[in-house]
Amino acid sequence: MGIKIEDLTVTFKNKVTAINHADLEISKGIFGLLGENGAGKTTLMRVLTTVLSPTGGTVTLDGIRYSEANYEKIQRKIGYLPQEIDLYPGLTVQECLEYMGDLSGIPRQICRERISCYLEKTSLSEHRRKKMKQLSGGMKRRVGLIQAILSEPEFLIVDEPTTGLDPEERIRIRNLLVDFSQDRTVLFSTHVVEDLAATCNRLAVMKKGKFLYSGSMRELVKQAEGHIWVCRAKDESTARQLEKKYHVSSKQYAGDELQIKFISEEPPEMECRSCEATLEDAYIYITSKEP
Amino acid sequence: MIYEMKISLPFPKQAYAVFFVVILSLVRGVTCSDEIGIALEAPVAILAAAFCADTYTQEVVSRRSEIQRLCPMIKRINSVYRRIVIQDIFLLSVAAAGYGLFFLFQNPEIDGTGSSGLENEACRFLVYFAAVAVTIGFWGLLSNLLSCLFRNMWMGIGGCLLLWLITNSSMGDRYLGAWNLFSYTFRSLENSGDYTWLYGKTACIGIGVIAAAVLPKIIEKRG
Repeated sequence: MGIKIEDLTVTFKNKVTAINHADLEISKGIFGLLGENGAGKTTLMRVLTTVLSPTGGTVTLDGIRYSEANYEKIQRKIGYLPQEIDLYPGLTVQECLEYMGDLSGIPRQICRERISCYLEKTSLSEHRRKKMKQLSGGMKRRVGLIQAILSEPEFLIVDEPTTGLDPEERIRIRNLLVDFSQDRTVLFSTHVVEDLAATCNRLAVMKKGKFLYSGSMRELVKQAEGHIWVCRAKDESTARQLEKKYHVSSKQYAGDELQIKFISEEPPEMECRSCEATLEDAYIYITSKEP
Repeated sequence: MIYEMKISLPFPKQAYAVFFVVILSLVRGVTCSDEIGIALEAPVAILAAAFCADTYTQEVVSRRSEIQRLCPMIKRINSVYRRIVIQDIFLLSVAAAGYGLFFLFQNPEIDGTGSSGLENEACRFLVYFAAVAVTIGFWGLLSNLLSCLFRNMWMGIGGCLLLWLITNSSMGDRYLGAWNLFSYTFRSLENSGDYTWLYGKTACIGIGVIAAAVLPKIIEKRG
C-alpha cells in the first residue's frame, strides 16, 4: 500500500506542462523527491494533496483513486506542509496549533496532548506562548510541520521543509521526519541533497516534469560510480577550460592548486583519478545526462 | 471562537473601522437626528465590504488554504461563518457608536421634547440599528463571496463598490425604488409612517441568504 502514480500529466492553462507522463510508486518510510527548482516537485505535491487536479493519468493512494468523489477520503489520510506558508501571525504557537487541530476535527484534549508532545520533540515548548510573528524562520517551519502531523496522518507530504534553515534547525526537522515515518509514508521534497542522504533510503529525481530516476539511493550512487573524476589544475584558466568541457561538481583550493571534481562518462584525457561518488555527484550525473 | 476573533479582528482593522466612523461623524453634517441614519448607512456599507473582503482570502494569500483543504468541509465553512458573524457584530457596534458620535460632535435637533423626544429618538435608533444590521450583513457577505469566487479580495471590494455606486445613486433610487438596497437611506423623512423601504431590506436579506448558501460551494470548488 502506498501512492501509485501512472502516466501523470499536469498541464496549466498557459499550456506549460509541469508534469509530463510520469510514473512513480511510493511505499512506506521516507521517500525523497529531488530536483532543481521548477522540476515539478511542488506541482506533484499539489496533485497528491488534491490542491490541483491532474490533466491526465491516474493516481491512487492506498488503492483509492484520485477523483473528486474520493477527495474527502484521501484528504483525511494526508498531512501537508507547503513550501511557503504563513501561519496566523496574530496567534500564539499554542493557539495556532489548537486552531488547526480543531479545524482538522481532532478532539480538544487529544489535540492538546499531541501539541505538548510535538512541541517538546521540536524544542518549542518554551516558545508556545510566543506569537507566530515573533518566531524565526526555522521555528515557523517546525510549527508548520507540527500542524501537518497533528492529525497523525498515514501520508505526510512536506515540500522543502529545510530551505533557508541553519544546520541545527535542519537536523531537528530531519529527525522529526524520521521519527514520524515509522509505519507511515513520508514524501520529502527538497533540492538539498544532504537532507535526503541523511534521511531516506529511496528517492526519485525529477527534471522538467519527468522522473529521471526512481529507486534506492545506493543504486543511484552506483550508477554514477566510475564517472566521477578529480584532477588538479594549476591556474584558473585550466579550471575554466574544464568547466566548459565537463559538469564540475566541486572546486576547492588545495595549497596552490585547484582540486576539481567533475563528471565524465569516459576517462578524461588529462591526468586525473577516479573517485567515489556521493549522492550529490550521482544527482548531477543523472541530471546532466538529460538535456 | 476566541481564535477566530483574533484572526478576523486584528488591531489595524479595528483601528481603521473606528477611525472611519469618527471622521464621518465629524465631517458629514446633519441638522436633525433623523438624518443620522441616512448619513451612516451607505458609508457603513462600503466599510463592511472592505472589512469582510479578506475573511477567507487571507487563507488563500498565506497559502493556509492548501492545508485547510485537507480539513473537513463543515469545519472550514463553520469557521468562515463564525468569522463573518464576529466581524458583523464588531461593525454593528461601531455603527451604533457612530450614531452616538453624531450627537456628541454635532448636537442635532431631536424631534419632540422631554420624554416623548427621547422615546422618539430611541425608536429611531432601533430602526436604524435594524436597518444597518441588515446592510452590514449583506455587504459583508457579498464582498466575501466575490472575494472567494475570484480568490482576490480586491475583486470583492471592487465588485461591491460598483454595486454600491449604482444602488446609492439617484438612478438606483429611480429604477429600484422601494426595492433598492439603500431603501432606508432613500426613504421619505416627511412620511414617517411609510415603511415600504422594508422591501429593500427584505431584498438584502434574500440575496444575503442565497450568498450564504452558495459560499460553501464556492470555497469547496475554488479552494
